[in-house]
Amino acid sequence: MTQHELPLEGIRVVDLTHVFAGPTCTRILADLGADVIRFESPNRMDVTRNLIITDNDGLDHPWHRASYFVIRNANKREMVLDLAKPEGIAIVKKLIEGADVLAESFTPRVMENFGLGYEQVKQIKPDIIMISLSGYGQFGPMRDFGAYGMGLEPASGISSITGYAGGPPMRSGLSFTDPYSGFMGAGAILTALAYRRRTGKGQYIDLSEQEAAIPIMGRALFEYQMNQRLPDRAGNRSPWAAPQGCYRCAGDDRWVAISCVNDAEFERLAGAMGHAEWVTDERYATVLARHEHHDELDAAISEWTSQRDHYDVMHTLQAAGVKAAAVLDGKEALLDPQFAARKQFDVIEQPLLGKRPLHKHVAARFRRFETAPRRPAPLFGEHNDEVLREVGYSDEEIATLKESGVVADAPNVPVPGQFLSMALKLPYDRYVEAGILQAVEPDYREQLGIAGDGAK
Amino acid sequence: MADRALADVRVVDISQGIAGPYATKLLADAGASVTKVEPPGGDYSRRLGPFPGDVPDPEQSGMFLHLNTGKRSITLDVSVPSGHVVLKKLLAKADVFVAGERASTLASWGLSYDDLEGEFPELIVAQVSPFGATGPYADYDGNSLTAMAMSTIMYNTGEPDREPLTTGGAPGEYLAGVHLWLGILAALENRAKRGGGDHVDVAMTEAAAAADEYNTAMYGFQGAVRRRYYSRHIFGYPQDIVPCADGYVVMIPGAGGFPTPLTKDTLSPMALLLEQPELNEHPLFLSAGERMLQWREFDELIRPYMSTHTAAEIVMTAQALRMPFAFVPNAADLLSDEHLEQREFFVRVKHAKAGEYAHAGAPFKMSETPLAVGPAPERGAANADVLGKELGYSDDDLRILSDQGVI
Repeated sequence: MTQHELPLEGIRVVDLTHVFAGPTCTRILADLGADVIRFESPNRMDVTRNLIITDNDGLDHPWHRASYFVIRNANKREMVLDLAKPEGIAIVKKLIEGADVLAESFTPRVMENFGLGYEQVKQIKPDIIMISLSGYGQFGPMRDFGAYGMGLEPASGISSITGYAGGPPMRSGLSFTDPYSGFMGAGAILTALAYRRRTGKGQYIDLSEQEAAIPIMGRALFEYQMNQRLPDRAGNRSPWAAPQGCYRCAGDDRWVAISCVNDAEFERLAGAMGHAEWVTDERYATVLARHEHHDELDAAISEWTSQRDHYDVMHTLQAAGVKAAAVLDGKEALLDPQFAARKQFDVIEQPLLGKRPLHKHVAARFRRFETAPRRPAPLFGEHNDEVLREVGYSDEEIATLKESGVVADAPNVPVPGQFLSMALKLPYDRYVEAGILQAVEPDYREQLGIAGDGAK
Repeated sequence: MADRALADVRVVDISQGIAGPYATKLLADAGASVTKVEPPGGDYSRRLGPFPGDVPDPEQSGMFLHLNTGKRSITLDVSVPSGHVVLKKLLAKADVFVAGERASTLASWGLSYDDLEGEFPELIVAQVSPFGATGPYADYDGNSLTAMAMSTIMYNTGEPDREPLTTGGAPGEYLAGVHLWLGILAALENRAKRGGGDHVDVAMTEAAAAADEYNTAMYGFQGAVRRRYYSRHIFGYPQDIVPCADGYVVMIPGAGGFPTPLTKDTLSPMALLLEQPELNEHPLFLSAGERMLQWREFDELIRPYMSTHTAAEIVMTAQALRMPFAFVPNAADLLSDEHLEQREFFVRVKHAKAGEYAHAGAPFKMSETPLAVGPAPERGAANADVLGKELGYSDDDLRILSDQGVI
């Protein structure tokens, strides 16, 4: 039975987060039906409005064109307020009166300086659920540390177990703990909403991005406590599977991931590759032997995979009952049949940009409701008037707020838009030449089936 | 004792391994009653270890202890008819049923959402599987590695001339667990408002792909395909792990670390950190784009300072200069970290058989209903309580089930 309403319909979120982790958290609440009103400052716009400008052009108003921003902020409304002015703070407080959730991701102390610390906010709305997402938490000796996502995955310990065997610790190819803590934050709020539903009580949630990801270190934490050993960096290998790895396939930089967690799976792998004799080969017959002779086995597997397309290897091995997956790049993911069948990418109509694919932030699929975005990402300050009217400001008052610069619909950017809009600071062909980008395909919208009107 | 947020939620969990159990651990730590239904041989995470002295013992497996705090355990073979009957009695008293199997397996046991919906219209059936319950790959098998492969994250992790790398620590499993937990909470919220159970269907691949930062965006908005380039962001260099005198630090100059058109007349934080004021005029300090392409030359500029200073000196100096540098701790460093200690992050939990260990504590701190980490259960420890006291099976019934290998 499908319903029209979403679980969080009627829940209002005042969203003072920015960049990646916080907006991921509130995007999930929005996708589940909450009315999320985000805030930016005319003097300090969200830096992600400068990241990955559509078609990498330098058109006017680049801050309306950044894909990085659009992806995490679809489904939300937005006001642009100068929080350095008391009238700006007064508007936020007015909105908090009618809000259920307040989310923020400033460094600690900023909210208190605004007069918006939890104790102060509780005076305005006693049952508010407030969450602070920060790098290292709201107290403790490192609370005032500046923190970017790329530093917090290493800070959580995960980089110490990521990397090639014998090599240095490595980061993931993204700010891993940012989305991870955004997901955790959304679950924390849902937990608090369940409690409020039963008791009427709100509460405060202190989420440290470093801490939220430490449970992923579970095995290493126990290994050290039990045996005073630190797990080695092991590339793609695992103590729980052999062989396990990422193998080169035919084509430019194409790869497949394969994992055999027991003898039965290995027997099926050997059979599928035409090497039934491996099962009785003493180098490979047992999982211990396979761990021991992993390098030889990898070479033999690579010889087979390198002649074949990565998707073909995946389908062949899966048909034989072996865990395998093509290693997808960004384009391949957008075109993958399984992702397409399960609507992993919702197409929205974004003002100025036309139809664009956005990856789902709520991974769960439900029978009763769908979490597709109901509105595009907001333009800078798009909902200033709408929201102010909703909380009782008259047209005259709104005009005064705009005149005095409390409310704005363009950033006070001290540098030309052209400078701002260059997410990559040099022409793309230089990045292709350096091997940082694979290609830039001018017909990508046709390939994705999203060509058509709307892009300006 | 503080209130528990989910004290009224009852969960029956037949999942094994990491993803499903992590989801129900997050529910149990928030006060939900979680009945873990293990196959008679035990959850396979009881065999994953690590074990003290490397001696396998199902009651001392680190992964099991880590992922099953605060639950109670019964043993039951849900794949045979007599076990199925017992499970249905448990489901009649449950709000949430959690399973970690592919759709075809669950259906063969008569335990898919479609099988259960008619009998238990208010039950939330939460299922985590490698590729999801529907679609052309629904029957495909997988684990954390295959999820990371499909997510696009792996393609961009590692060195350009070597194979793509997974992030360490089975992240695909944890991401799936977190999304299963989120989905369950959303379905509970929906049920509280409108009534009705639901099918919460989480694909490990999609949970990992939900974390994508801009790989699909670069193609969907620009037609550009990002390659693997030392796990580096495309936005600038460095934002990387860099060697120093006694280990590694994360060097992140941040928005204000290098001279910009607005600040080029004052000494930049990076020039101050490296104690080389002349670098402020260096072309690689002035152009972010060139710095990214000529990073080997840039690395030479920082080497003299980095190789002669410790991680603590570098990070503290950089932070004082308002640059968000970070440490690169390992598990031992985390366990003795002063910041985490003052935040009481790690929690010591005593287990009757395994003894006492520090567990990773609450991933977020709630002021009214703090998460609490209780011990993981011994296999089947709650058989008598759950099957006898709660479901009313007699000692004779239980003996028969046990003789049949069902419990």
